[in-house]
Amino acid sequence: MNQQLPFSTDIQIAICGSAGDGTIATGDILKRAMARAGYNVIAFDLYPPEIRGFGKCIARTRITSEQVYALKPRSDVLISLNDAYAIPHVHEVDDFGAVIYDDTPIAAVQEGEHISGHLAPAHLPYAIPFREISERTTSGAKSRNMVAVGYLAGLYGIPREVFHDIIQSKFKTKPAALTESILTAFDAGFVEGVATFHLGFNVPSEAPQSDEKDDVIMMSGNDAVVRGCLDAGIKTFFGYPITPATSIMEKLAVEMPRQGNSMVQTEDEISAIAAAIGAGFTGTRSATATSGPGLALMTEMMGLATIAEVPVVVFVSQRGGPSTGMPTKTEQSDLNLAVYGATGDGQRIVLAPTNVEGCYWCAGKAFEMAERYQCPVIVLLDLYLSNRYEAVVLSRINPFDQDCNTGVPKHQTDKPYRRFEITDDWLSPRAIPGEKGLQHVITGLEHNEFGRPNDQADVHAQMSHKRHQKLHAALTHPDITICKRFGDTGQVQIGLLGWGSSFGEILEALFKAQGEGITCAAMKVVMLSPFPTSEVIAFMDDCDAVLVPELNYQGQFANLVGAMVGRSVHRFTRVIGTPLHVDDILVEVRRLCDDPTAPPTPVNPATTQEKLT
Amino acid sequence: MTSVTQPVYLEEKLEDIRESGRLIYRSKALPTWCPGCGYYAIVEAMTDAMNRLGILSEDTVVVSGIGCASRFPFFVDTYGFHTLHGRVLPVATGVKVANEALNVIGVGGDGDGFAIGGGHIPHAARRNVDITYVLFDNGIYGLTKGQTSPTSVTGFETGTSPYQNQDNPLNPLLMLLSYGASWVGQAYAGNPHHLASMLEQAIAHRGFSYLHVLSPCVTFDKTSKTYRNLGMAIRDLPDQHDNRDLMAAMIEARHQETPALGLYYKEERPTLGDGLKTIVERSRNKE
Ligand SMILES: Cc1ncc(C[n+]2csc(CCOP(=O)(O)OP(=O)(O)O)c2C)c(N)n1
Ligand code: SF4
Repeated sequence: MNQQLPFSTDIQIAICGSAGDGTIATGDILKRAMARAGYNVIAFDLYPPEIRGFGKCIARTRITSEQVYALKPRSDVLISLNDAYAIPHVHEVDDFGAVIYDDTPIAAVQEGEHISGHLAPAHLPYAIPFREISERTTSGAKSRNMVAVGYLAGLYGIPREVFHDIIQSKFKTKPAALTESILTAFDAGFVEGVATFHLGFNVPSEAPQSDEKDDVIMMSGNDAVVRGCLDAGIKTFFGYPITPATSIMEKLAVEMPRQGNSMVQTEDEISAIAAAIGAGFTGTRSATATSGPGLALMTEMMGLATIAEVPVVVFVSQRGGPSTGMPTKTEQSDLNLAVYGATGDGQRIVLAPTNVEGCYWCAGKAFEMAERYQCPVIVLLDLYLSNRYEAVVLSRINPFDQDCNTGVPKHQTDKPYRRFEITDDWLSPRAIPGEKGLQHVITGLEHNEFGRPNDQADVHAQMSHKRHQKLHAALTHPDITICKRFGDTGQVQIGLLGWGSSFGEILEALFKAQGEGITCAAMKVVMLSPFPTSEVIAFMDDCDAVLVPELNYQGQFANLVGAMVGRSVHRFTRVIGTPLHVDDILVEVRRLCDDPTAPPTPVNPATTQEKLT
Repeated sequence: MTSVTQPVYLEEKLEDIRESGRLIYRSKALPTWCPGCGYYAIVEAMTDAMNRLGILSEDTVVVSGIGCASRFPFFVDTYGFHTLHGRVLPVATGVKVANEALNVIGVGGDGDGFAIGGGHIPHAARRNVDITYVLFDNGIYGLTKGQTSPTSVTGFETGTSPYQNQDNPLNPLLMLLSYGASWVGQAYAGNPHHLASMLEQAIAHRGFSYLHVLSPCVTFDKTSKTYRNLGMAIRDLPDQHDNRDLMAAMIEARHQETPALGLYYKEERPTLGDGLKTIVERSRNKE
């Protein structure tokens, strides 16, 4: 959202509690309401790996008038729904920031268990009897979280109507009495908030009007993938549940049948991609979604799609690895698997969006590309991007080409059909089952132009070349950002090269560095395979030093860049399970600025680890 | 069993085949199998069955895995997908879900189906995907030159079981019956006419049909499932066998040493495609 609001606002609210406290739901209402009120919103929730029970959840929401790209390292407000969980996060509240908590009598808890004893002198304490208000106004203590969010709204003077709208639509399938009691709790908190000393927060008197042609929607990366799939005309989807990709499948399970299409839950990931490839063979748009462990199982099938030249789209949301790793923590460590994980020279297209809107575009474009270039396309997300919410602007005109097939011209049907004919653009006319006279067999064996198994050296060389060459056109595929430069133009001191979800933090670091007088530029690389080598080289030419921040141990993207451009870069890698810290990147930028030959900092130095609990 | 009582003249036989019209279903590629391999009979029986059903080549997709058996799609003139070892059924399911109008036939060997691909069979069966799965069982890995397979008999000696295989063989028919396959039958490559008629019924069945074809590997199995041994062991299903009776089918399927040919079990029930249509309707009613 790039609307100009007549004031400047940038506040970040963290809500911390247990799964049972409705922490995530509270954050959800807050972010949707603020997006409805016309703000830019970025939100990201952390939740425990256990499903039920009472693990720690934190919902962080950054609300701004200006476009921003990442969460801030420190929040302006912390709402505690559970003091034991929230206490370790008090230090992340900025100076003069507020801590809002339930004012249980201190006498009722053990020494040190009450959050009020942990606030810094610069923090503003707001003690409110959430539980009591909830019990007084509704039938129980369950609506404490709504009292808290109502209080926040009142405190900041945000019109309560937007919250009412969001609450009503969120609970529209629930009994009316429940929604009523939630609204009552919200209002009770609101009244309390209004009566308290106001915090300086500018609120638009009315929500800015969005452009007629566009819709502003609050959505997560996975939501955006789903929208992209639907707009691109997906016909079949096959999947096997795995965090953090499952919600793609679940949302498609709701939406696809409404359009007369099919979502099938298969017995495993091998079956999921196999069925998607089978469906792709019939000429329809098909996809699957998984995480690293599933992609590992799919690699053999990816190779089949490559050699048999069948379109298939695979969404991969990375999490901490290797193996089962850290299912509910974010990491960018499946780049190697996505780009290189294949039998033989497994040529493929890999797209890594950097924000929620990018998820939508990459999803839709992936179908175009898979069909056009007759190959597998991986769209690489990660938990942070899959679950991060942003307010995005979507055009009401469907931007995706619904048919990119290179079909067989009618007049060719009397000649023996060459499914893998060598052509000028290396793309062969593709017949699909049902077309008369064009029957052929596709295979995972190396084959000649007719598709007949053939392992002669010249045939293998020619076909390998074809499969490789045809993908180059993807680098100039219409209406998609392959890579993009930001920041200062011309020669700069520091160039930040990034990919995927962490690019938001990279941009924020860039702006801070510029603020400190460092000339700085950044480039995001969205297409990881084939690689935009010349653009990246041109960018690197302009930089005195190039820093590559990413969330994995080895520096997988730095390795890819090194291999593609033949130059070394400065790595900055972290495996913290959470997004990179803007300030940590900034420290590294400063260090590199002072000494462009400085050795890299160790992965996860103690200082970073301490900050994270 | 038909036994040859009169001399067969090649000329006359070829004339018959040409006249039947089934040659249109043969591709121009010559099979790459060893002379005498049971799989030749399966191709011939398949073209015969397709011809009798009058199905269109262009509306038919044959999906296979990897193995000697899985070379099959190259020898019939339909659309074909020679996929990966063990993945016949998932790929075939994808083809069918995407285009219900296609006739989808899956083929593969016993290793392909019951070793590496064993996890997929129950799911294709229980979902009643409207495809035909023809499993060529030679009790050995042919393509990799003779190793033990999940249907090899105990005591079988191969390259990977030089001191004799100690494992029990699987019982594919019993498995398919308990997985919920809606059509289960058995045929023998040494009896191509019966094989053709079984294929015809299997393809005509609406739902997941499983045809188990016993077929000797003449090159790597000289002792176990040879034409001679199989020819002596096989029998027909008893005349009174009721192919609507699942328990009766299971009892017959238990006699692996004396395999009975014929239709074990058949039931009519909604297919995966039917289920997906129901889901479409329900989603629209819920909107
Ligand atoms: C993933 C994988 N593992 C192993 C192989 C090697 N391989 C090819 S065919 C085959 C076994 C074939 O046996 P079967 O399926 O019984 O078919 P047959 O050759 O006897 O017809 C094996 C193990 C392979 N191609 N792929
Ligand atoms: S190796 Fe065996 S199964 Fe394979 S073609 Fe030869 S005889 Fe047939």
